[in-house]
Amino acid sequence: DGVAVLPAPQNLSVQSTNMKHVLTWSPVIVPEEIIHYSVEYQGEYESLYMSHIWIPSSWCSPTQGPECDITDDITATVPYSLRVRATLGSLTSAWSTLKHPFNRNSTILTPPGMEITKDGFHLVIKLEDLGPQFEFFVAYWKREPGAKEHVKMVRRGGIPVHLETMEPGAAHCVKVRTFVKAIGRHSAFSQTECVKVQGEALPL
Amino acid sequence: VSCVSGGLPKPTNITFLSINMKNILQWNPPQGLQGVEVTYSVQYFIYGQKKWLNKSECRDISRTYCDLSAETSDYERQYYAKAKAIWGTNCSKWAETGRFYPFLETQIGPPEVALTADEKSISIVLTAPKKWKKNPEESSISLEQIYSNLKYNVSIHNTKSNRTWSQCVTNQTLVFGWLEPDTLYCVLVESFVPGPPRLVQPSEKQCVSTLKDQTSTLKVK
Amino acid sequence: GLRRCLISMDMRRIEESFQGIKNAIQAKDTFQNVTILSTSETLHSIKPLDVCCVTKNLLAFYVDRVFKDHQELSPQILRKISSIANSFLYMQKTLQRCQEQRLCHCRQEATNATRIIHDNYDQLEVRSAAIKSLGELDVLLAWIDKNHQGTSA
Repeated sequence: DGVAVLPAPQNLSVQSTNMKHVLTWSPVIVPEEIIHYSVEYQGEYESLYMSHIWIPSSWCSPTQGPECDITDDITATVPYSLRVRATLGSLTSAWSTLKHPFNRNSTILTPPGMEITKDGFHLVIKLEDLGPQFEFFVAYWKREPGAKEHVKMVRRGGIPVHLETMEPGAAHCVKVRTFVKAIGRHSAFSQTECVKVQGEALPL
Repeated sequence: VSCVSGGLPKPTNITFLSINMKNILQWNPPQGLQGVEVTYSVQYFIYGQKKWLNKSECRDISRTYCDLSAETSDYERQYYAKAKAIWGTNCSKWAETGRFYPFLETQIGPPEVALTADEKSISIVLTAPKKWKKNPEESSISLEQIYSNLKYNVSIHNTKSNRTWSQCVTNQTLVFGWLEPDTLYCVLVESFVPGPPRLVQPSEKQCVSTLKDQTSTLKVK
Repeated sequence: GLRRCLISMDMRRIEESFQGIKNAIQAKDTFQNVTILSTSETLHSIKPLDVCCVTKNLLAFYVDRVFKDHQELSPQILRKISSIANSFLYMQKTLQRCQEQRLCHCRQEATNATRIIHDNYDQLEVRSAAIKSLGELDVLLAWIDKNHQGTSA
């Protein structure tokens, strides 16, 4: 098929946001042919103690796309080496290795989505479900001068969680950020959202 | 009782069903023996010890389960168990469980839940689940003593607004104040221990209604 | 001591990785009458004062011996073991950083406990010893969780 040597994939790089990691590379082009790729990885342990061992990626050995979701492979907070090669029938290219090993502690953490609701006097928050590695640091306060800021750690997103019992007639504000224990980092705070409970203060 | 081993197919799906350290060995009858009066015998093994031990109360039994709670009560140890089918002078080979580690594998049952309501609040008192014990006279061991990080996920449903929200607590009493009077609230509680994935057993749903608002009744007068 | 050092560890992923290999690995361990870690004299009797040293020694035991001695052909199991091995490497570094600020003193009791474990390992042929040690990771993880995490979730 006219291709003596298959070129190795180039421009390997990793995009990582909120602990989802995707390895991308420039596709190898052979007219009218479908190229497959194989991705392998090596954690720091393998590179230190078993440098001959490369582990086939969970989802991309083989794959067609010029990208690979390596989230399920990068499961420790250590540097990982990654390599890709192209195959066409019996032809295989040389391995192309990521220039710098990737460590998940470099992932970009974005402020989480949140939905604030009221059930009578109860302030309820529902946070974006970002997966089991994410905890949420929720700060909430009564909107009045000198109000004290309260903090609550919410372990899971995706379910409505009771935050505060609000006083009638007062506005209560909330902001939240994520915390990822596995890498010891947190995101920036979200926008602040406030809600108000109608009605006068009930007689004590 | 000696028998020809391998003359029968083995019991299948032999596992431990463990809830609050009550550890029941259970299995399915061998395949292809419908209508045959098969009996079973059980043995267990403490990992690291020397030999398999008979469970005398589960010798030649016709039921397909055997309570090994007493034999596996040291929850920091690990165990194996096995059962074989017997019919006349024929018996099967042993069907064996994987290694069973009660400390990590037991399901944590729900706490006892007591609800009391007044006009605008519901107080919830939780009583931690108890470890299985051999005799009722023995003193109870709360699972909180075994799992120091035991927590409860309390979810409360307002049947009028059809809203549900939850709260994760470690203490055993909590009060939801500023509720709507004369409204039915339903509560569900799960115990959970952070750590390896474990099956969870939610409590029975319990509902209680807040009382009618006394101030509005006074105005009517 | 360093009991709070590993509090930032995300043990859940390591425990999940072990659950993924538990049945396959423990099924290969045919010496049910021998244990490496779980004899009562060793792990369960470690005093709080010795937790740091024993943790450091056991991480080294797994990183330097067990994971190296085990040869795995199945990619699925290899991935899980790699995940655990790299997590242990990270725990070693975390303990190392923590240790620089505080003492991680090794008393004789901690050294004895570690030697018993190495002796148990040396009693067996190396592949069998590695398989058995991998199969007992749940005991080690539960011990680390209990001794290091305290009330953290």
